[in-house]
Amino acid sequence: MTRIFARLALVTAALLLAHPSVAQKSGGTLVWGTNQTARHLNPAVQSGYATAMVGAQIFASPLRFDDKWNAQPYLAESWSFQDDGKSLLLKLVPNATFHDGKPITSEDVAFSIMAIKANHPFSSMLGAVERVDTPSPNVAVIRLSQPHPAILLALSPALCPIMPKHVFGDGADLKTHARNSSPVGSGPYKLAEFKPGEHIILEKHAGFFIKERPKFDRIIVRIFRDSNALAVAIERKEIQFAPFWTDLALLDRLSKTPGIAATDKGGEAIGPINWLAFNTKKKPLDDARVRQAISFAIDREFITRKLHSGRSRIATGPIAPGTPFYSAAVEPYKVDLDKANRLLDQAGLKKGPGGMRAALSVDFLPGSSEQQKNVAEYLKPQLKKIGIDVTVRNSPDFPTWAKRVSSQDFDMTMDAVFNWGDPVIGVHRTYLTSNIRPGVIWSNTQSYSNPKIDDLLAKAAVERDPAKRKAEYNEFQKIVVSDAPIAYINVLPYFHVYEKSLRNLPMTIWGAVSPIDEMYRD
Amino acid sequence: MDRLAASASEARGPWREAWSVFKRNYAALVGLCILALVLTTAIAGPWLYPVDPFDIVGAPKTPPGADADALLGTDYLGRDLLAGIVRGGRPTLMVGFFAAMIATVIGITMGALGGYYGGKVDALLGRITEFFQVLPALLFAMVLVMLFSPSLVTVTFAIGFVAWTSMARLTRAEFLRIKQLEYVRAARAIGSSNSRIIWGVMLPNALPPIIVAATLATGTAILFEAGLSFLGLSDPNVMSWGMMIGSNRNYLREMWWAVTFPGVCIFLTVLAISLVGDGLNDAFNPRLRTR
Amino acid sequence: MRIALFIARRIAYAIGLLLAVAILNFTLIHLAPGDVVETIVGEMGGASTETIASLRKTYGLDRSFIEQLFIYISRVASGDLGVSTYFNRPVLGLVADRMFATVLLVFTALATAVVLGTFLGVTAARRPSSWLGALVTIVALFGFSAPVFWSGLMLLLLFASVWPILPASGMYDIASGATGFAYALDVAHHLILPAGTLAIIYLALYSRLARASMIEVLGSDYVRTARAKGLSENKVVFKHALRNAVLPVVTIAGLQFSGMLAGAVLVETVFTWPGMGLLAFEAILRRDTQLILGILLLSALLVIVGNLLTDLAYRLIDPRIRTDG
Repeated sequence: MTRIFARLALVTAALLLAHPSVAQKSGGTLVWGTNQTARHLNPAVQSGYATAMVGAQIFASPLRFDDKWNAQPYLAESWSFQDDGKSLLLKLVPNATFHDGKPITSEDVAFSIMAIKANHPFSSMLGAVERVDTPSPNVAVIRLSQPHPAILLALSPALCPIMPKHVFGDGADLKTHARNSSPVGSGPYKLAEFKPGEHIILEKHAGFFIKERPKFDRIIVRIFRDSNALAVAIERKEIQFAPFWTDLALLDRLSKTPGIAATDKGGEAIGPINWLAFNTKKKPLDDARVRQAISFAIDREFITRKLHSGRSRIATGPIAPGTPFYSAAVEPYKVDLDKANRLLDQAGLKKGPGGMRAALSVDFLPGSSEQQKNVAEYLKPQLKKIGIDVTVRNSPDFPTWAKRVSSQDFDMTMDAVFNWGDPVIGVHRTYLTSNIRPGVIWSNTQSYSNPKIDDLLAKAAVERDPAKRKAEYNEFQKIVVSDAPIAYINVLPYFHVYEKSLRNLPMTIWGAVSPIDEMYRD
Repeated sequence: MDRLAASASEARGPWREAWSVFKRNYAALVGLCILALVLTTAIAGPWLYPVDPFDIVGAPKTPPGADADALLGTDYLGRDLLAGIVRGGRPTLMVGFFAAMIATVIGITMGALGGYYGGKVDALLGRITEFFQVLPALLFAMVLVMLFSPSLVTVTFAIGFVAWTSMARLTRAEFLRIKQLEYVRAARAIGSSNSRIIWGVMLPNALPPIIVAATLATGTAILFEAGLSFLGLSDPNVMSWGMMIGSNRNYLREMWWAVTFPGVCIFLTVLAISLVGDGLNDAFNPRLRTR
Repeated sequence: MRIALFIARRIAYAIGLLLAVAILNFTLIHLAPGDVVETIVGEMGGASTETIASLRKTYGLDRSFIEQLFIYISRVASGDLGVSTYFNRPVLGLVADRMFATVLLVFTALATAVVLGTFLGVTAARRPSSWLGALVTIVALFGFSAPVFWSGLMLLLLFASVWPILPASGMYDIASGATGFAYALDVAHHLILPAGTLAIIYLALYSRLARASMIEVLGSDYVRTARAKGLSENKVVFKHALRNAVLPVVTIAGLQFSGMLAGAVLVETVFTWPGMGLLAFEAILRRDTQLILGILLLSALLVIVGNLLTDLAYRLIDPRIRTDG
């Protein structure tokens, strides 16, 4: 045992020597912990923060954002809309290079944008892009079929990685491209080692186009299966930074650990909403009053205060609070069992013997128990109070759940869906009649259809006047919340857990799915 | 015929003798008492403590003793842990019992036929047994449960299907031994049918070690169910002890009670079953030891 | 020569067995609702109908079941276990990477359990009523009756949190960048908790087995003869009796190999030990078909090899055994 202690002392001493605290603001290694396993590291062909947070270190994008939703120069040093909003001109920084030393040109930008349009799951994100012209090596002009105000957010690091055409443009299918696991990028860090499910080692890209960035020499991303183990590693100071922390039960303990802090600031653009979706084609859920009744029976205060230890916020509608298009002027669905019972009576669901009116099943996304499974389990005793007998269906793996939901083999399901910055990117897909597509998960699997909503969303997508656009989205939120194809529960709480010696945490609207090039250890 | 009857009565003899050995074994008697308590709770519990284990009775994560409504504390949703403990015994024991039954029935059939007929039948059944033995039991059970989606029934069958091989080997060995004994030869000589010899003459004599093994298999099946639940493969609509551990495991550090109490219940139940199994083994052994 | 023939026969037989295992696993997995494309699409954040169709085509899921089975079997026969859709790497390499960790864990646990268990059991057999005998009984009862993941969680709580002297998870400390001997020490340090947890169950089994078998051997004629010849008690026990008492321990150790893998899945999950068990769990959760199939097949292979080694060990320890059934 003494040997182990001696060894620990040695290691500690070595670490201290390696990172002298003498006002040195760059250098050193950042050990980053996560319980998300990225399948590969190319955000061009998939969404989700597991890939995006590492992808944003490896790939630069045309634009980045500050903490107030303002676009900032990144690979594009300036940009301007032309042609009544149907063209976007990007002027690229002159000295940017890929990790292999080749210069980044407008050809690469054009290739990347068209490849993302063709491969990224969010078809509405770049749907309006017709082509990208390249009048000179550092000017790219994105040509649009119609005005597309969402395009600026679509050029963010998490959504628009600029890939080297000479690596990814070899004609192989980008979705299954071999280099997605060994990418050559343009961002502040280059990939040194990728052991899927274990760790990712990133090294500083010495030729990064922003001077004196990034600050760390190395980032090690350690992947944990289980948040308990990750929490212990943080307590033991093996991990200095854990973004997208969702385990609230452990958070209380972690934030009491000396030297460790947690914040839920940063990352507002992700807009993740935890909700209960209804199959609106299935009796008795085809009656809006039944859906409203269920929504009135859910005590969101209990869920956010008690089940989530006061660390999550109530969601009131399809757009996340704290984002530019959020509207609070909607039916609030404060818990009201009498009203719920009245609505069910009106809908003709009479109490049978034993006081039960109907039997419904609820599914949930496997993986995140606090947000999904626990809330589904909470519905069982809670909806019993209004005479609905709930069976919780456990999906052992993701395909089982996705198959049930996408083929409409469900009554109700818990789900978590992200806004991704602009409503066009992450909100429209859930409500458009044209997006009812059997077999496709995270389309309009509720089979919700309202011509008025279709019309409003079509208008808002192309509206260039922010005030008018906001008015359209306000109207949309009001109608959708009252139609209740979905009972909104809460905003998924994402925390950054970090060692207090870290400075310049990622506080922008994209949080840790943007380049961590300014963070350093004090 | 007389001889057959005589040997049958002789074969009943060991049971009485076994009990006299068993009741002198204090460890086994303690096991029997614990088991009786567990069984009584499982059967009468819901009447004695009529609280729905799914109802939210208080604040989530209340420690034991802090709330008179939930003496053992509450879980992460605020459900009464005591109600879960009281109700959880029945499904847990049922999974254990029925999975062991399935394993025993398959195992006896395979082993008895192989041991009795020998030759090609034995070779074929031996291959099948070996095939199942080679499959990694837990992984295979996980695949089965995933396939049919987790419920008490699928979990029971999955465990039964992966657990029968040792029972088959044991039964086969017993049958090979008994086949040589005089009363079996006698039964064959008087022209008894094969099935009468297998099920009517040989099986009763092979039973003691099989009963011991089946008892122990019940314990193993309960542990297996707990393992599957721990990995998240359990029915959320049935409050079993394994399910309680599985769903509370993420909160181990803040609420030791929610994992510890059902864990202790499983531990005690399996312990009791092992003690009884050992007691039975010792009780049957002096008679059956032939080496 | 006889051994060579025996091994050759066993290998031929093992290949047939593996083929059957492969067919059964493949069939079962294809019966499950949904497929790996659903996972990929989920990871991607959704996809269009066309993308889904093209992905199905990429993974050959648009063909008939029989065709897929045939392609799979012929691929496996040529040594190609396919590519993990989730990790985007060949299954064989992925499993080989993790196999070492599992084998290290299982063998450390097994060796600890066999050596310590035999020692405890033999000692307890020699002095049946001592406190050691009681200890063996207690260890055995605990090992048999406590769920392995539960004892793992309790140990984790104790030695990584309440009294933090051991690492909570993983196999080595990446940040230290240690190599050579320092690396080996680091791995050993990480190995203590998971191997210890896994060893508890088997310690129970082996100590009881060794005790029972030793009691029997000590009462046998040849031990009585050896004693009568005036040999020292230690010589009797360790030279004559132990060899025979160890026989059942070795047999059971081999037979337990498959059970060991099951324990490894649970223990690796508790301690995030990067072995095959953890990989299998992740593969199952993500419906990574090729990876699940590969792991099932390779662990069947491990069990077969384990059984073969057991047979060989048995023959070496006890030359009386001959190559029959």
